[in-house]
Amino acid sequence: MDCEECRERLYPYLDRELSPTEFHEMQEHLDECGGCERTYVVERVFVDRVRVSATSDVAPAAVRERLIVRLRHDLHR
Amino acid sequence: MAQADPFEQEALSYLDALYRTGLRMTRSEADAEDLVQETYIRAFRFRDQFTPGTNLKAWLFRILTNTFINSYRRKATQPQTTELDDVEETTLHRHMTETSGEAPEPEQTVLDSIVDGEVKDALEELPERFRTVVLLDVEGFSYKEIAEMLEIPIGTVMSRLHRGRKFLQTRLYEHAREHGIAAAKAMPRPEGA
Repeated sequence: MDCEECRERLYPYLDRELSPTEFHEMQEHLDECGGCERTYVVERVFVDRVRVSATSDVAPAAVRERLIVRLRHDLHR
Repeated sequence: MAQADPFEQEALSYLDALYRTGLRMTRSEADAEDLVQETYIRAFRFRDQFTPGTNLKAWLFRILTNTFINSYRRKATQPQTTELDDVEETTLHRHMTETSGEAPEPEQTVLDSIVDGEVKDALEELPERFRTVVLLDVEGFSYKEIAEMLEIPIGTVMSRLHRGRKFLQTRLYEHAREHGIAAAKAMPRPEGA
């Protein structure tokens, strides 16, 4: 695998979307190539950061209560 | 509504995920609440169409995205942003190393200076077709599940996710440069940075 292929497969690798063979090819390249490894670490930290922030919100209690009331009303009339 | 019903209990356990996704899609608390209520009403009404043992969260998100596309898309205000075609393809790493006349910022320091609100703002600035894919990705769905929900090819999911992430990186890096880096600079750098 060359660096270009590695960069193209970086997100599918991070997202656990590669086949076992492709996954091992990526691991081998990242073990050998410092530049790609560094890019990989940055991308991994970034993707994790976005995921943590984007999933930090919860539904307000009032929203949950109104939903339950509406479901009860709509489904049992 | 019987509290002991396992379908209803599991379905309601995804309220937080559905609500925050609806909020980023509609950019309105009132619309997000309506969208989520509509999603649950449909889900409970058509629960016979759900195959037990399959992914209930994915089924609910499919209803959410369909409802959004059919009822809310036209209403949702579009972001005042350029299309992603205009956004230069850059990596966060390259941003760091191209800082002219200065030593590159350690990426971790830049990422640490980004606060939740900035990530959410950047998400809301994404054009809709990219935003939807990124939102479904952060909720843990696979490329295949996202493709099925949105009825688009897996290759399209991959390219939208890729471009959506690059857009977010560019926006977040700009925010960090404007607001966070002064404070970040005062902090000691990690070994080898």
